[in-house]
Amino acid sequence: MELKDSIRISFVALRANKARTALTILGIVIGVGAVILMMSLGGGAQNLIVGQMQSLGSENIFIEPGSFDPKAGLDIMSATVEGMTIKTLTLKDMKAIKKDPLVDMTYAMVYGVARAVYRNQDEKITYIGITSEAYEMDDWHAAIGREISDEEIKSMARVATLGHKIAEDLFGEEDPIGKTIRIKKTNFRVIGVMEERGMQMFQNFDEYVYVPVTTAQKLLLGIDHLNAITVRAINDGAVDPLMENIRWILRETHNIYNPEGDLSKDDFKVMSQVEASDMVTQITGVLTAFLSSIAAIALIVGGIGIMNIMLVSVTERTREIGLRKAVGARNKDIMNQFLIESVALTVFGGLIGFMGGAAVSFLASIGLSQALNTDWSFVLPLNAVILAFGVAVIVGLVFGIYPAKKAAKLNPIQALRHE
Amino acid sequence: MIQVKDLKKEYRNDSVVTTALAGVSFDIKEGEFVAIMGPSGSGKSTLMHIMGFLDRPSSGVYKFEGQSIEDLIDNELAYIRNEKMGFVFQFFNLLPRTTVLDNVKLPLIYTKIPKKEKDKRVKEAIKAVGLIPRISHYSNQLSGGEQQRVAIARAVVNHPSVIFADEPTGNLDSKSGQQIMEILQDLNEQGHTIILVTHEKYTSEMAKRVIQFKDGKIISDKTIDHRRLAKDGLVK
Repeated sequence: MELKDSIRISFVALRANKARTALTILGIVIGVGAVILMMSLGGGAQNLIVGQMQSLGSENIFIEPGSFDPKAGLDIMSATVEGMTIKTLTLKDMKAIKKDPLVDMTYAMVYGVARAVYRNQDEKITYIGITSEAYEMDDWHAAIGREISDEEIKSMARVATLGHKIAEDLFGEEDPIGKTIRIKKTNFRVIGVMEERGMQMFQNFDEYVYVPVTTAQKLLLGIDHLNAITVRAINDGAVDPLMENIRWILRETHNIYNPEGDLSKDDFKVMSQVEASDMVTQITGVLTAFLSSIAAIALIVGGIGIMNIMLVSVTERTREIGLRKAVGARNKDIMNQFLIESVALTVFGGLIGFMGGAAVSFLASIGLSQALNTDWSFVLPLNAVILAFGVAVIVGLVFGIYPAKKAAKLNPIQALRHE
Repeated sequence: MIQVKDLKKEYRNDSVVTTALAGVSFDIKEGEFVAIMGPSGSGKSTLMHIMGFLDRPSSGVYKFEGQSIEDLIDNELAYIRNEKMGFVFQFFNLLPRTTVLDNVKLPLIYTKIPKKEKDKRVKEAIKAVGLIPRISHYSNQLSGGEQQRVAIARAVVNHPSVIFADEPTGNLDSKSGQQIMEILQDLNEQGHTIILVTHEKYTSEMAKRVIQFKDGKIISDKTIDHRRLAKDGLVK
C-alpha cells in the first residue's frame, strides 16, 4: 500500500467528522501553541537583553565584590544574597586599576533607593553614585544642562543629573536646572537632565538620579566601598589580559595571598561583557526550557484525547476494517492507516498551534515594546519549529499506536458482521 | 481448484461447543458456478468464509489451487485474497462518503501493479457493471442494486480466479436481484469460478451445481442440467 493512498484515506476519514476532528486536535493546538509561545518569547527576551548588553561594548569588564564560586555558576549576586556585604572594593582599587596601560576608561558605582522631594512632589528614586566617565562609557549623556565633573566628584559636591522621567515627575513643565531637590535630608542642585533611554535589562534608566560617587558614599549611604567598577579595555584583544591584570592588582590591594590564582580565594569577581552575555543567555535559556516543559504537559493531555478518539474511530469503522482485510489488506496496512491518521491529526494540530503561538508572540512583541518602551523583537527560533513538529509527530505515533494495533488485530469475519 | 476434505469448524463459547461444519468434503473445478444452499445456521456462510481464507477450519483439509490453508500465514492469506478472490456481500459493504471509483479501486491499493494498469482495470470493472455514468457519485447516493453492482466491480477488479457471493440478492428487490444474477452468470461465462451462498431455491437454480446443506453437513450435491438464465426474466 502506498503512503499517498494511506494519507488520502486518512483525510477522507478526518473530513467526515469535521467538528470532532477540530475538538480532538484542540489539545495539540494548545500544547504546541504554548510551547511555541514560550520559546518565542524566551528568544525575544534573550535577544533584547543580550543585544542591550552588547551595545554597551564588548571591551567592557565588570568588577563586583564577592568571591567567584565555580559551583554556583550563575550566582550573580552572591555578595548580597548571602546577607553579608563585602566592603573591600573601593575607589582606591579603581585608581590602581586605572594605571594599567590596557585600560581605556573606568567608572565606579554605588547605589541606593530613597525618596526625592521637590516642593510638594515626592518620588521614589534609585540614586546612583558614579564617577565622571560613566556618561561616556554608557554612551548616555545629559540632554539639557551638564554632566557631573571630576572636580565635583573630588569635592563631594551635592549635585545631580536626573533621569528623564524623574525630571518630569518632579518638575512637570518647570525647568529643573539650578533647582534644589532633597534626597535623604541632603539638598542636591540639579545640573542636568539625561536623554530619554527607557527600559534596559528590566531597569528603567529614566528613573535614575546620578550623583557623585563620593557624595553617595559619605552623605547618602555612610560607606567607603563600591558596588561595582566597570573598566573598558583599549581594544577587544586586551580584554582577557586586562582581566588577569586586574585580578593581580586587586589581590595586591586587598592583601590576598593567592599565588595559584585560585578564583574562589578572591573577594571580588571579574567578568567580561562577553561572559556576562553568555550568562544571561544561559539564564534565559534555562527559564525558557522550564516554561516550555510546563507548556508541554498540554501536549500529553492532547495526546490522550487523540488516543481516545482514535479508539472510538476504530470501533465505528470495524466493518470498514473487515472489508479492507477481505480485499487483501494485511494487518500492517490497517495499522499504518490508523497511525497515519493519528499523525495527520497531531501534525495538523501542530500546524495550527504553531501559527497561533507565533501570532500571539508577534502581538506580544508589539505590546511589550510599547509597554516597556523598549525594542522587543519577535523571534521564532528554528529549534522551536523543529521541536513543535517533531513532538507533534511523536505524540501522534505514541498515542496512535494502541488504537492502530487494536484495529489491525480485528478478526475480518467478526469485523464484517459488526453492526 | 478447490479441495475440501472432512472439514470441521467448531465455535467455543465459554464451555458450550457449537458445531458449524460437521465434516464436509467436495471439490470445485475451475469455471464452475456452484450454489451453496441451505437454511440459516446450516453452516454455509462458515464454509464460504473458510473457502475465502477469512477464517480457518478447526480440522480437516482445505486446499485452494493446491495450497493448503494450514501451510499459509495470515499475510499470505491476505495476499491470495487480494490476488485470486473476489467477495460480494449481502450488505454491499461499500465505504461511505467515498466515490464509486475509489470503492472499486480499494483492492488495488493493496497491490503493486503500475498506476496506469490500475486505472485501466478500475474503468473496465465499472464498465462491466454498467456504472460508468455514476463513476464519481458517492456510494451512499446509489440505489441498493447499483451499490451491489459497485461491489461486484470491486470483486472483479483484480481479475480473481474465484468470486464468492454471500447472499448477493438477499437485500435487494427482485428486479435488482435479477440484474445481479445476470452479471454473475455473465462473469461465469467469461471463465470466472463463482461460489454463491443463498437460501433461495430460485436463485440457486441459476447455478450449474447446487450443494445442499443442513446442520453443518452436505445433504445433496447435484449438477443442474438446465439452469435458469437471469436474462430470461423473472419466473417467481
